Amino acid sequence: MHIPDGYLDPLTAFMTWVVAVGYAYYAYKYSELRTKPELILSLAAAVFVAQMLNWPLPGGTSLHFVGGALVAILTGPFNAYFTMLMVLIVQTLIFQDGGITTLGANAIAMGIVAPWAGYIVYKVLKTRIGTAGAASVAGWISVAASGTAVGILIGLSTWFPYSLGISVPIMAIWHSILGVREGVITGLAVLYILRKAPHYIAT
Amino acid sequence: MTQRLVLFLAALVAISPIFGVWLTELLGYHEPLDIAVELINEAADYTLLKDLSEEWRWTPFADYKVPGLPDWAGYIVSGFIGLITFFILYVIIKELYAKRTS
Repeated sequence: MHIPDGYLDPLTAFMTWVVAVGYAYYAYKYSELRTKPELILSLAAAVFVAQMLNWPLPGGTSLHFVGGALVAILTGPFNAYFTMLMVLIVQTLIFQDGGITTLGANAIAMGIVAPWAGYIVYKVLKTRIGTAGAASVAGWISVAASGTAVGILIGLSTWFPYSLGISVPIMAIWHSILGVREGVITGLAVLYILRKAPHYIAT
Repeated sequence: MTQRLVLFLAALVAISPIFGVWLTELLGYHEPLDIAVELINEAADYTLLKDLSEEWRWTPFADYKVPGLPDWAGYIVSGFIGLITFFILYVIIKELYAKRTS
């Protein structure tokens, strides 16, 4: 999911940075970074390690957890942004997992779109199909939505001379398939947390 | 971070090369995004989108490797570097807010 350098033109990359920084300023007012830095950094560390556990699949792709929906379900979408942002900054600067010019785009896809998509779906479905089921669908939709967001950003880049009609369907369909795995992991994680530490599930 | 969480994450880091290195080499692995971009490049019939990370290296720990160590050991060390970094970030943020409050 991490967009490397070279996929977005400078103007698009700059605009994504503006959006990511602007959203950080806005989200900070509603986040608990000041009061609960331990929770946010602990979750960031957990997501970082979870993302290292690739489960390669025959055919050449992988199963690894993204975490945007789960973190949003646990702490809300504004805290989730800072959690995912911390993960992305460490991954980008220290391990070059994702580009510096595309850090803003990655923050939008995995820090804004994935948590919000997962959070909204979870809230809508929770009373209808139960917490674990809602979390599963939320995890699935979050990856599909963030993949679609990446498709839109790549399609908007002038380095991609074709329309959004090419980049978006490919990214959306591929990540909708892979998102099923995220859904399963998110559902199981929420089920486990509900049993062991239900107070961590955001109301 | 609670001691229990730290131990749990350390254990996951210790076994992470099984998934991130050995199985990856065994089965051949590409990021899902890379596969999607391959499909985009195939649809366009030439290389529209090129990953520049091989040409722009700004860290010795790129791809969770550590110079001089085999990949599996580098992966573990990288995991611990990440965990220590998050702990340092936590201390910095906590100290910053403590100074502001005082």
